[in-house]
Amino acid sequence: MEEFRKKIKVNRILFMVFILFAVAFSIYNVFFISSTNGGSFDDGTVAGFQLGLILGLGFISALQFVRLSKALKDEKKLKILYNELHDERMILIRSKAGMPMLIITSIIMIVAAVIAGYFNITVFRTLVAAAAVQLVIGAAVKIYCLKTM
Amino acid sequence: MKTKIKELRKMHKLSQEELALLVGTTRQTITSIEVGKYTASLTLAYKIAHYFGLTIEEVFDFSEMNEEE
Repeated sequence: MEEFRKKIKVNRILFMVFILFAVAFSIYNVFFISSTNGGSFDDGTVAGFQLGLILGLGFISALQFVRLSKALKDEKKLKILYNELHDERMILIRSKAGMPMLIITSIIMIVAAVIAGYFNITVFRTLVAAAAVQLVIGAAVKIYCLKTM
Repeated sequence: MKTKIKELRKMHKLSQEELALLVGTTRQTITSIEVGKYTASLTLAYKIAHYFGLTIEEVFDFSEMNEEE
């Protein structure tokens, strides 16, 4: 359990770093990018998507940070968290839903979409749509397995 | 697969969450095993049986499997 506690502490630091990055990026985006950009619809779409994505991930990171902080203070919550992450049924369900490869490929596609967005808006939209469909299918399979297993 | 986990839990006055914590799994998994939706792995079956001081065969009903053979 001590190993797990260390791992959770590291994860908490990583979430904190991401939260700070999200806040810094948002401030930069709102006060610097929009004022200088002000250009076409396409430019606004990519920048807006980036801001929304970073803010969304920042919000999720904040929730995870609070969850992990609570678990570190309470031994029972830490044990429950450990069991949740190492539960054989959940591992099986995740693997049936294609996790974690589905998440990894989706992240790669979204990063590629953001980069491609600066050159071609159609490629950006296609990649984002493909990643979204992939994630929705994964989530649907996971929900189905949770209900039937 | 049918099991006696629910009866054993009630005999020992344990909630699903308490049993889950004791055998290193989640409440949802205990629920799924109790209703027969999920078949526990050998390791988990052993942990549950061992906690109640019984053998795996005494907790889990393998008669359906024997009929299939």
